[in-house]
Amino acid sequence: MRKSILLTGVAAVFTLALAGTMPVAKAQDLIFLSTQLRPIDEAQKVRDVILKGAPKTSYVVDEPSPFTVRMKAEVEANKHTISLVGALHGELQPLLPMGALDPIDDVAASLKDRGIPSGLMELGKLGTGKQMYIPWMQATYVMVVNKKALPFLPAGADVNALTYQQLAEWGKAMNEKTGQRRLGFPVGPKGLFARFLQGNLYPSYTASMVTEYRSAEAEVMWNDFKSVWAQSNPNSTSYDFMQEPLMAGEVWVAWDHIARVKDALQQAPNDYLVVAPPAGPKGRSYMPVIAGLAIAKGAPDRKGAADLILHLTKPETQLITASEVGFFPVVNATLPATLSPGVKLLAEGVAKTQTAKDAVVALLPVGLGDKGGEFNKVFVDTFQRIVLRNEPVRATLDAQAEVMRSIMAATKAPCWAPDKASEGACPVK
Amino acid sequence: MTKPAGSSFKGWLYGSGVAVLCVWVLLPIGLIGLGAFGGRPAVYQWPKTLMPASLSLDQLAVFLKIDGVWNAALNSVLAASMTMVMALLLGAPAGYALARFSFRGATMFRLMILLTRAFPLAILALPLTVLFIRAGLYDTAFGVSLVHTALALPFAAMITASLFAGIPRELEEAAWVFGCTRWQAFVKVVLPLALPGMAAAAIFAFVISWNEVFAASVLTVQQRTLTAYLLTVLSESPLHYRFAGGFILIVPSVVFIFAVRRYLFALWGVTSR
Repeated sequence: MRKSILLTGVAAVFTLALAGTMPVAKAQDLIFLSTQLRPIDEAQKVRDVILKGAPKTSYVVDEPSPFTVRMKAEVEANKHTISLVGALHGELQPLLPMGALDPIDDVAASLKDRGIPSGLMELGKLGTGKQMYIPWMQATYVMVVNKKALPFLPAGADVNALTYQQLAEWGKAMNEKTGQRRLGFPVGPKGLFARFLQGNLYPSYTASMVTEYRSAEAEVMWNDFKSVWAQSNPNSTSYDFMQEPLMAGEVWVAWDHIARVKDALQQAPNDYLVVAPPAGPKGRSYMPVIAGLAIAKGAPDRKGAADLILHLTKPETQLITASEVGFFPVVNATLPATLSPGVKLLAEGVAKTQTAKDAVVALLPVGLGDKGGEFNKVFVDTFQRIVLRNEPVRATLDAQAEVMRSIMAATKAPCWAPDKASEGACPVK
Repeated sequence: MTKPAGSSFKGWLYGSGVAVLCVWVLLPIGLIGLGAFGGRPAVYQWPKTLMPASLSLDQLAVFLKIDGVWNAALNSVLAASMTMVMALLLGAPAGYALARFSFRGATMFRLMILLTRAFPLAILALPLTVLFIRAGLYDTAFGVSLVHTALALPFAAMITASLFAGIPRELEEAAWVFGCTRWQAFVKVVLPLALPGMAAAAIFAFVISWNEVFAASVLTVQQRTLTAYLLTVLSESPLHYRFAGGFILIVPSVVFIFAVRRYLFALWGVTSR
């Protein structure tokens, strides 16, 4: 009896196995592979709302590292399943030397009337003469403030125009009055803290991301940041997305990517303010984030992919994208008044950041190819050594600047904003 | 007089030990359940209550309504089942050979088996994917299960080897004396004794495949396994989704272990003998 059950079980598994080996007869949908809008609810919104009215598409998401592996594998095997690719500027860049991207000047020509700023279109050329991707959505990094924190604001400080010293004083006041360290940064393994150092902290103090890496200003900066860190929640080293600690009330003032705080704002729009990141002696630096759409070379359905790009960059679709997932339009489109309160907060925060009087733009690293991860590591390592392990600032900066110099020499990447343009590899002074 | 005191102390020790173990296992599952069913506010509520203030199936329902979740679940079951069968079919003979025959290089062989686990998948990913695309195995559950079998094989071989080594050779020899062929003796005498342990090896293979993410996500595009489809994005989703997803991901393993618990208990009987 038992034996027969076992046998049926084995037989059933084998039938299933056989079924599994057979190619599943499925309508050949166009495959849209994306590293953006990965979280379950956002991916679902892409499928249900954003892609409504578009050519029949199967929306697949990938983390950045499998994404690169897959694109490379499809090029090497010369057999393609993916038609359209959606990824960050920095993730699309390494695909260029692999030969995985198809130039799309024809698509660019057909959406000339969309009003995508020429600066963004230029980024999409990835330094070649041809359009390699079309800007898709943009975002940036902001500070989210729980209104409970406002009473502790230092005298004379404007929450919309903080400096790093004021941030540290504010954190200290909250710590003394509530007994808890209430500032928060996403320093966890999946957190975007490297972007804070590159896009906000460094340029605000040194007006540079690379050249002035070991300057005297940088030394001042690290000493200032130590006092900010002293008032930051000790759990910061495990935060990936700041929305959770904000919602849990562990953190009252947090810095993060807008997509990573959106949930908290949508849950309780009345509890929070979104403000521009603090300023240093050289201004209030911020880093715009650009996601782009590219067509894979050898795409099974190039025509469909081009149609999909046209659909996704339509002003209507861009507005739907903004209100559903909180990434903002790259095209010329005014946000409607009917935005949900959470997204409205974000939109205001982004506007405050971009239009601040002392605003400085720091671009995402350009031209680092596959060294982008190492570049980030230089910043995070410096932070760990100086702030977490309390190593001497001068010596650490000198050592890390050496690493930075070797990355620049290896990639020969010229400087990008806010560093001044350079002939050849960006120098580290 | 001392005896009852001693035994009551023993009873107390036993009881508290059982309680600690139960809490150890059940508390995390309970907290996950609380997060999954208690709705969004329960996730952030502190201190936690034993029972959620309001039961809601919304979060779980949202999960089950995601496009392709059922297809992914089917792929997961397919891949895990095929892994289980292939790992046992290939691993058990290897285990039997290691346990029963002494051959040149047996120790070396043992080591080499384990070596397959020494290569990080991330390094192999690119060549493997290229190979799979060329061989037409890309984006199939079968392809995924091949990789998972390679991962599960060392465990299957090692577990079955110690299993067969624990079954006295005399029993097998007695069967030969009574006229059984080698195969008959294996099927009639050794296999029934080894079955519980084989079940354990099978569970290992199943769970390894069920939990593996990297290979499953690189080697598939549309035919993803549930883990690759959900788990990678789970850590980036809001907390209440994580609880709901976590709940859904542990249920199959708990059900599976419950189904084969008899074999597992028998296995523990074997090891304590």
